[in-house]
Amino acid sequence: MESTAKKRRCSFNKDWETTYHWVKPVQGDSQRVFCEVCQSSFSVSHGAPERSGREFGSRKPRREEGEPRTEKMPLDQDWTAVYPAATPFRAGSVPLPVRMGYPMKGGVPPEKKGNLELIKIPNFLHLTPAAIKKHCEALKPFCTEWPSALDTDAKCDEHFPIKVECTDYVSSGLSVRNPSARIVQLKVKLSILNLDDHARKKMLKLVGERYCKDTDVLTITTDSCPLRQQNYDYAQYLLTVLYHESWKTEAWEAEKTVADMEEYSWEGSPSQKNIMDMLLRMKVAGEGEGEEVQEQLLARSEVQEYKDSVTRLKNEGDNESSVLQYKEAVKKVFNL
Amino acid sequence: MALHRLSFRLRATVCHVRTLHTSGWGQQQEAVAVESEPEPFSVFRTQETDPACQSEKHLGQFYTLPSAHFRPLFPHGLPYRYQQQVKTFNEACFMVRPPALEVISYLKKADYSKPALRYLFYGVKGSGKTMSLCHAVHFCYTQGWVVLHIPDAHLWVKNCKELLPSSYNSARFDQPLQATTWLRNFRTTNEHLLSQGISRVKSSSDVVGALMKDLRLQSSQPGADFRLVVAVDGVNALWGRSTIKKENKSAVDLEELTLIHNLKKLMKNDWTGGAIITTLSQTGSLYTPKSAYLPQELLGETGFDSMDPFIPVSVPNYSEKEFESAYLYYLDRKWLQHPQSRTEDGKKELSFLSSKNPSMLDRICGFL
Repeated sequence: MESTAKKRRCSFNKDWETTYHWVKPVQGDSQRVFCEVCQSSFSVSHGAPERSGREFGSRKPRREEGEPRTEKMPLDQDWTAVYPAATPFRAGSVPLPVRMGYPMKGGVPPEKKGNLELIKIPNFLHLTPAAIKKHCEALKPFCTEWPSALDTDAKCDEHFPIKVECTDYVSSGLSVRNPSARIVQLKVKLSILNLDDHARKKMLKLVGERYCKDTDVLTITTDSCPLRQQNYDYAQYLLTVLYHESWKTEAWEAEKTVADMEEYSWEGSPSQKNIMDMLLRMKVAGEGEGEEVQEQLLARSEVQEYKDSVTRLKNEGDNESSVLQYKEAVKKVFNL
Repeated sequence: MALHRLSFRLRATVCHVRTLHTSGWGQQQEAVAVESEPEPFSVFRTQETDPACQSEKHLGQFYTLPSAHFRPLFPHGLPYRYQQQVKTFNEACFMVRPPALEVISYLKKADYSKPALRYLFYGVKGSGKTMSLCHAVHFCYTQGWVVLHIPDAHLWVKNCKELLPSSYNSARFDQPLQATTWLRNFRTTNEHLLSQGISRVKSSSDVVGALMKDLRLQSSQPGADFRLVVAVDGVNALWGRSTIKKENKSAVDLEELTLIHNLKKLMKNDWTGGAIITTLSQTGSLYTPKSAYLPQELLGETGFDSMDPFIPVSVPNYSEKEFESAYLYYLDRKWLQHPQSRTEDGKKELSFLSSKNPSMLDRICGFL
């Protein structure tokens, strides 16, 4: 069924030029008009210009984008004024030819203008040394002088052997509280504590991973309580308890096996038995059994050297020099 | 006959002169007859075929194993690639190298009324440990010792097709196939010294055990006129793990294998009148990292304690001189066909590519 109103395509009408002063005809295409405001053409085949809503009335003209700020920056400017706080990356404010992104085939990483990768990542342009200096200057009125007697690290360690570290967090948000502020870290050097051999070994076994052998520092980190004060008290308590417990000897510690030993000790090891057997069989020390023969054998220098080399091999593990030392020691024992 | 041999030697010398002359060596010597002081034939070979007489001045030179010794001495025990090389070149040449010479010198000096000394060759993969072991074994053979050579202890702890409960001790397991092969080879080696037949297959593992015990006792007796050398390749297998599984899929402990058990008893130095020469081997070992080559890593705690005290002998890669020697040997046997391999640059390239590792050099030269 045909509709009564016939539909046909519109084309340019001279009257529009008077009605809408921004309308101009397009050469060669009667079904498009040119808008002088937005400098673009659009189709009018569906009706007069007013129907295509976006060209309506006094739309704010799009102005030219100006020169980026980087062109106008003097060399001795105050950078802290450009980036006073943590803000995303602004390509027009950073006078560096930075490129970031995956280089497509035959290309280079994209430039900074309009680069989303640079905007996504955190930047520290607000924390340059100049900015840090300014922060320090601002904080100085709230600080007290460092004691002049504590001018070296060694003196600090001597008078204040236990170091406690806690962190405060500042951020703008709905709440000033930060749960990470409750963590307390306590560091102490074990050489300061009065521990004998057994106590030291027991302490090392009790703390396990918290001890660093290279720096001889025990680090206790507490975060189980909700408040910093509580965590601090807990860390102090732990240190005290560890110290006292390692001095005590329990009944079950007598069951310590060879596998539990931290270091290899030659006395009573299979190696000692082997070499003793061998020497006895070789009848080196002459006839006679018992303790004196053993003592005599042990006192010999070759046996001592052998003992050193085996201990070194077992404690240090294999390397060329320890194996060579062992070889020399064995050769001496056999008089080769 | 002698004349024929002489002319062959002269002909060979002429070839040598030609090849060596082209590579720039000036000095040539014509080897005519055997002199009292063995002169090197050419720079890389020596006439001294008796390991007992080899000394430091023969270092880096190849000596040929007389074929009369080769067949009986090494029915098993040489590396597979080397066996192929022997077939190709029609001769078996060993290079005289410091580790083997060192052990031979200790063997000469040692006092055999004292307990058996243990030597252990260790080194990176392909550095020549098995060859050094075979060199030392050749020495013992020429001295008339009884040779108990176990080619690769790793073969006894893996890929076992048949496992029988032992008739002697019901807690242990036998490996009849491996035991019979080994006994057969043992007989080949020591035929001239013993007169024993191979027993039935079933109890072969026990026979092995009895044989070992017997030999141990015999050589320990004072006044015994023979000595025993126990040569084990891949000794770290004795204290490692095994991949053999029982029928109920539980792993077999090494102590439960009769062969291993007897071998461990041999390793203990409670007998006199002989020597124990062993090598470590990462190649066949189970559950060890590829880069491990030092004694303690491969032997483990128990292994070290059982072998202790022993003399570890390091077997390094070729030195400059040894590398030259090997290169000239390959040239001489016409193994290097590529024209560029004859140049100085080619030699440097070979040295760099193989980093002077004997087995790497062998593999690379195989392509040329």
